[in-house]
Order: sequence, then structure tokens, then C-alpha cells
Amino acid sequence: MNRGIRKVGGAVTVLLLVLVAQLTYLQIIHADKLDNDPRNLRSVLRDINRARGDIVSTDGEVLARSVASTDGSQFDYQREYPLGGLTAQVVGYQSFVIGNMGIERSYNSALAGRAAELRSLGDVLRGKETTGTVVLALRTAVQRAAADALGDQRGSVVVLDVKTGGIVAMYSNPTYDPQPLAGHNTQAVNDYFTALSNDPAKPNLARAYQEIYPPGSTFKIVTSAVAFDTGTATPQTVYPTTNSLDLPLTTNVLKNFGGATCGGTVFESFVASCNTTFAKVGLDLGDKFPPGLERFGVEGEAPPLDVYPGAVRNTGLEGADFQTDAPQFAFAGIGQGTVATSPLAMAMVAASVANGGVMLEPRAATEIRDQDGAVVQRFGPSPWKTAMTPATAQALNAMMRTVVERGTGTRAQIAGVAVAGKTGTAQNSTGNPHAWFVGFAPAEAPQYAVAVIVENGGTSSGDNATGGVVAAPIGARMLQAALTP
Amino acid sequence: MLELVLGLMALGITTFGYVLVQLANSSDIPPDLWLILAGVIGLFVLAHLAVRKFAPEADPTLLPLVAFLTGFGFMLISRLDRDLARVQAVWALVGVLAFVVTLAVVKRIRTLERYRYTFLLLGVLALILPLFPGVGEEINGARLWVRFGPLNFQPGEAAKVLLVIFFAAYLVDKRELLKEGTRRIGRMSLPDPKYLGPLLLAWGASVLIMVRQKDLGSSLLFFAVFTAMLYITTERVSYLLVGLVLFLGGATIAYHLFTHVQERVSTWHNPWPVAQNEGFQLVQSLFAFGSGGFAGSGLGLGNPTTIPNVATDFVFSAVGEELGLIGGVAIIVAVMLMCGSGYRIAVQSERPFSKLFAAGLTTIIGLQTFVIIGGVTRVIPLTGVTLPFVSYGGSSLVANFIIIALLIRISNDNATSTAVAANLEPTGARSDAAPPVRRR
Repeated sequence: MNRGIRKVGGAVTVLLLVLVAQLTYLQIIHADKLDNDPRNLRSVLRDINRARGDIVSTDGEVLARSVASTDGSQFDYQREYPLGGLTAQVVGYQSFVIGNMGIERSYNSALAGRAAELRSLGDVLRGKETTGTVVLALRTAVQRAAADALGDQRGSVVVLDVKTGGIVAMYSNPTYDPQPLAGHNTQAVNDYFTALSNDPAKPNLARAYQEIYPPGSTFKIVTSAVAFDTGTATPQTVYPTTNSLDLPLTTNVLKNFGGATCGGTVFESFVASCNTTFAKVGLDLGDKFPPGLERFGVEGEAPPLDVYPGAVRNTGLEGADFQTDAPQFAFAGIGQGTVATSPLAMAMVAASVANGGVMLEPRAATEIRDQDGAVVQRFGPSPWKTAMTPATAQALNAMMRTVVERGTGTRAQIAGVAVAGKTGTAQNSTGNPHAWFVGFAPAEAPQYAVAVIVENGGTSSGDNATGGVVAAPIGARMLQAALTP
Repeated sequence: MLELVLGLMALGITTFGYVLVQLANSSDIPPDLWLILAGVIGLFVLAHLAVRKFAPEADPTLLPLVAFLTGFGFMLISRLDRDLARVQAVWALVGVLAFVVTLAVVKRIRTLERYRYTFLLLGVLALILPLFPGVGEEINGARLWVRFGPLNFQPGEAAKVLLVIFFAAYLVDKRELLKEGTRRIGRMSLPDPKYLGPLLLAWGASVLIMVRQKDLGSSLLFFAVFTAMLYITTERVSYLLVGLVLFLGGATIAYHLFTHVQERVSTWHNPWPVAQNEGFQLVQSLFAFGSGGFAGSGLGLGNPTTIPNVATDFVFSAVGEELGLIGGVAIIVAVMLMCGSGYRIAVQSERPFSKLFAAGLTTIIGLQTFVIIGGVTRVIPLTGVTLPFVSYGGSSLVANFIIIALLIRISNDNATSTAVAANLEPTGARSDAAPPVRRR
């Protein structure tokens, strides 16, 4: 019988070793995934019960902080958001009920002190709590200017630092107060969240990077750049002067804004925002158009953004084939049809012109500091794509400057500063056209780029509900605020 | 002496853990620490003295391992639920008393062999007791409990031991027949159908348990232990194959008949889509292991209470979360060592009954550990059995203490008979094929 006993003993040992193998898999190999699963409340509960670093703006204002909890709950800390709705769509919230959002989520390990950079071996051994402070590129003065400029109108403003990709301001209206979401009463948090989600105005939709809109004429920057870089046209190429363009494959025609007659060089058509010219450029580009869109991040991957849940993917021609879908190429040339971009994406387009053609990754955070204020991690400029050649960027810079000097964007002028820009008035399915302005300043040595959208022209109507009338002044205000030290 | 030192070391570890649990919640040393310390050391010393008195030559490793696992379990339960810990402390006392009584009453293991049919009767009675209206009680969908006044316990735990006694005695009796009675089909030699009776009986009993009591874990355990014992007796692989076929057949039938079996299997196969309902426990358990990682969150610093039934079926998940891979492997290694001692005792034993009995008892502990840890780590579908000595649960703790007492008794018999044998026949080469020699 001994042989049998040894074999059974061996089998039991093997079974127990299988358990060790599975434990190793669960606790070492697969551990991070299980630990970070959003349904696993452990890390959230752990973080909510200990000190957490601040989120501060570049100009030193505290955007999120933890204070001792006084609500008598089981939690020791309460997260506070002093600026409330003004920064909610960037900063986000820490909620053990519905999960974290925004910077609170994407920099959670730094804020909670779990990031490796923050923990020296000595701290670990001494059991010292270390939390990180996340410094944002955001400037509260510019952010406030954005909220003031939009007023009651629905829309978004994004201001980027041309040289670093830093997000100087990113605001959309309406917004929401994140404070109740950080509460400790599960029922109250859920009720508030449900109310936010059911609000038809969608206050918890971060329009600036989570919503896409037809970019309209502001997209002529992209069309021009692709045309110049592919040799399809130059700024001096002359297009017919007309009031409408026959679209291939259909009996439809594409008309100019207000039925106007325009044309001439690409340069002059850009300044006057002539649709027929750029629709024709779109047709001339043909199958060279989609790869060019991808160089601008309009097709393909969504732009990288360090604000959870990240930026929404833009749509371009989406696999349209010139042989069968030619009219879509004409519409894409003027930023209509299947083309839709987020305000952030259009700010990136403007910034890439300002930055000599290199499109940088937009970045909300600039650095992480430890409790003693020492910088432990810095997020430098990081190129994402090469949108166009420096020569093309140079040409577009001149074209955009002329738009503000004497074209559709004259209301974006700032005394003493040369502004470059492009307006847009984008047809859409939700009502009046969206008013757009994208641009940068100073034109000769760009520092800041801006994108503004006022949904459905905002409080203006009729001929006044255009990008040049509604959005361009907001753009000027933003650039001025950003340039004011 | 070795036993005492090892045991006190084991208790040192668990007492330290107990202090850590308290410190995680407040900055004070627990006020009842001295009481607890005196209690656990007292219990261990009591058990140790019983071994010294009734089985002085026994294997010195079993009791320290029991002390380690029981202490570990108590520490965890006190961290998870203070009220349960108080009850468990009482059960530990009852367990140690049962241990002492077993050692004192069962002077020779062969006494048990003689009363095999009494044990069969008692075992079957214990199995079906929960089915009687009035005494039986259904908890968490399984009808395993018997209530007498304020006490409720699972007689199935006692049935485990009783039936293994019967199996061992019966199989030893019939082993020549079972070994010879084979029929060749091609190159395979299969047991003759007329000798399959006991196997079929055990299978029928397991199926009955499963059907009537909805207790998948115990059913699986019974059948596996019996098949293992049958294999040890005959050393014929064909019995294992027949056992496997019967098991698969039973499992298939059960799968088709019972929705709760289907649920368990599909939850095991992929718990993620049902993470918020049927799969909640298992998914929470997996999260606990993942969050625990290599070293664990530290005692008292995790959130194991997010797992329902964490003190009983899922106690090992709490170990995984708070003590990490290190703690989990420590438990598994302790069980391995315990099984190693058990099988060594079986191999060293000369009487076939003792051999088979010791192997059967050890297999229960090993397989039960596999079934429950495998269930909470998603190696096999989850079935509710306790983790020996660690889980909260009085009946299980007492039954396991009795198992260890019996193993210690067999071990002591081995040592004394070897000593006697060494005196009588110095060359004493023994083989288990030889007919048992009756010794004084």
C-alpha cells in the first residue's frame, strides 16, 4: 500500500502547488490589473482615508485639497475644491462612490503618494506618509477670463502654451460643482450624480475635450496645410471666382456663405473664408486628403491628454473613398460633412501652426512636487505629430495674420499685438451655426494658441451669429489675458 | 520538547499578528491580550500535555502545525468579526477537549476497526440528520445544519471521520478480492463489475449528499477521498479511471439537473459579466488577492470585509489581501507539512487498517484545503467547505482536532510497535504485502 500512499501524497502535493501557482498569478502577475479594476473599491477606499496631495495652478492657487473630515463619517479626510465649477472639468473629483475623474484620477498615484518617484526607501521603512502635489499649467486668471467671456453661452475655450503644450485654460459652459461628488454619503452622491447626468444641458460633459463639433471654416487651416505640403496648391494658386461649386457624382451644388461670390488665390480665399475655393481644394486633394488629416490628429488615434478619461477621438473622412464619396471631400475641405473635432483639437491645430508645424501633446500637469516642495517629476514638451513643414506653417502664419488684419477676424485684434487667427461658422444639426475662432499671438513670436466655440452662435442671432462676430472677440480676450503676466 | 518549542513559536507568530490587528485600529495594546495569550498558550500546553501522557512517542510536528493554523485562523477571525472570534475561542476550547478525549479514549487504533459497522451507521445518520424536519436547518441554500437549542453544528463534519473509519476497515477486509477481481478488456484491466459495489455505494452517497443537501464541496470531497483510499488499497489505476468516469457522469447529471450547479460553473468559467450579482463574492475575492499583492496590505489595513462570508468560506482571501502571497503560501506550506506528516505516519504504520486510515484522514485535510482555496482563487468552481483549522466554524474545527488526535494516536502506535519490534526482531524488514502480524 505504501506505493499508493506515496502517489496519493504526491498528487495532493501537486494540487497544493497548483494553488501556489495560481496565487502567484493573482498576486504578482495579474495583481496590478485586479488592484486597479474600477470595480475594486479597495484602492479608492484606501486613498480616501489618507492624506492626499494638493492640485495647484501655475499661479499658485489651490484647486483641490484635503482637510480633516468633520461629518462624523468613517472617513478621516474630506476633499475640497475651492474654485468649484471653474476648474471641475480639468481637476475632476475624488469619489469613493462613483470613482475618480479628471486629474484626480490620472494623477491618483502621485496624489496618494504611491508613485515610485515620491517614495524613497527611507520613507517606506520609516512608514512616512508621502503625498505628491500636482502642479497644473492652468492659470486661474485666464480660466476666469474664459468663464467671463462665455458668460451664459454654451461653449468652450481652450488656451495652450505654444512652446510646451501646457493647458493654460480649458473651460466649458455649463459646468458643475464637483464638491457634492466628493461627499461621504453614498445616497447623496448618487442622487447628485444622477441629477447631473439627467440634466439636458449636460453640465458634466467636458465639452472642451469630450465633445466633437463640425469645425467649419477654421478647418481651412488644415485643408490649406495639406494642400501646400502635398504640392496640390500654393498660397498663390488661383481658383475660380464663383458663388457655387458643382459637386461631382450628384446634382447638388455647394454655395458660399450668404450666397457671396468669391475666389482668387488660396491666400485671398482664406482671408475672405471662401467656401468654393476650399471645397475645390478638398476635391483636388482627393485620396491625399485622409493621410493629411491624420497628420493633424483628425483621423486615427484620439489626441493624448492627461486628464481622465482623455480626449475624444476626432473624425475626419473616416475611410471615405474619393471614387465613390467625392462630395464628402469637398465638405471636408470646409470643415463640414463627416469632419468633427473637439475644441482642444482645434487649439492644437492653431498651436501647431504657431510652433512651426510641430503638434505637441497637450498637457494639463507641468510637474509633481513632494511634500517639501521639491520637483520630483517634470513633464516637458513632448511632440505628438509633425502636422506640416515649417515653410507651410510660415505661410499659414501670414494668412492667419491677414485674416485678423483685414479679413473675417478683425474683431480678434489686440492693440499693440499682432494676432493670427481663423474664424468659422459651422452648420450643424442642432440649430444655428456654431461660432468658432482659433488663433495665436503674438504672430511673429507665438506664445499662446486659442480655440473658442460658442454653440449655435450663443446669444447672437442672424448675420451676427458668426465666428467673426461672436467667437473672435472672445479669442482676443483670451489671448490678451494669457499675454498679461 | 521539540513539540512544545515549535508550538510556542507558532503561537508567538499568531499572537504578534493579533497585536498588529489591534494596533491597526487603535494605538493601544489590546487590553485582553494577556487573557488571549494565556488562553492560547494554556490550550496548547493542555494539548501538548495530553500528547505527552497518552501518546508520548508520537510525531512532534502535527500539534505545532495545528497550533499555527488555529492561532492564525483565530487572529484573522478576530480581525474580521469580534463576535465570531469569541464563539470561535469557545470552539477552540471544545476542539482541544475533543482532542484530549480522543487521545484518552482511543487507546489503540484497532479498536476502531472492530466497530466499523457502528461507525458506518453513525456516519450515515450524521449525513442524513440535517434532512429531518425539526432538527435540520438550511443556511445559505445548503441543508447542512442541525440545531439543538442554542447550538447548531454540521454533522457532515463528523460523518467525514466516521465514514473514513468505515471505508478503511471495509477496504482492508476486502482488499485481496478488490485487487484480484479484474477483467481485461484489450490492454486495459478493469475491475470486475461485482467488485464495484463499494465504489458505486460511495458514489451514490455523494450524489445523495449533493442532491439533498446541495453541498457540492462535501460531496466532491467524500468521493475523492474514497477513490483515493480505494486506489491505495488496490494500487490499481483502473479504479481511478472508473472513479473519474463516475465523477464526470455525476457532475454532468448534476450540471443538467441543478441551476445552482450551472451557476457555479459559469461563474467560475467567467465571473466578470456577473461581477455585480452571482459572481460578486468570487470577483471580490480575486480583487482581494490582487490588491494584496506580494506582501499584503498589512493586518487590519485591508478591506476584506467587502467579501461576503469572509470569515468562513473566504477566509483565505482575507489572508491573501492582508498578508499577501507570503501569508497565503505560509498557510499552504503549513498544510503541506501537515499532509507530509500524515502520509509519513501512514507509510510508517504496519497495520493495513492504520495505514489506510491515516492516509484517508490526511487526504481529507489536503483535498479540503485544495477544494476551498482552489474555489476562492478560481482554480475550480467554488464550493463551500471550510479551510481546515483556519475558517470560522465550530463543527469543522472540532472534527479536524479529532483527525489530528487520531493521526497522533497512529503515530504513537507506530513508534511503540517499532520499538517492540526492534527488540523482538532486529532485522525486522516488513512489507505491507505480508499479513498483519499481531503484536502486543
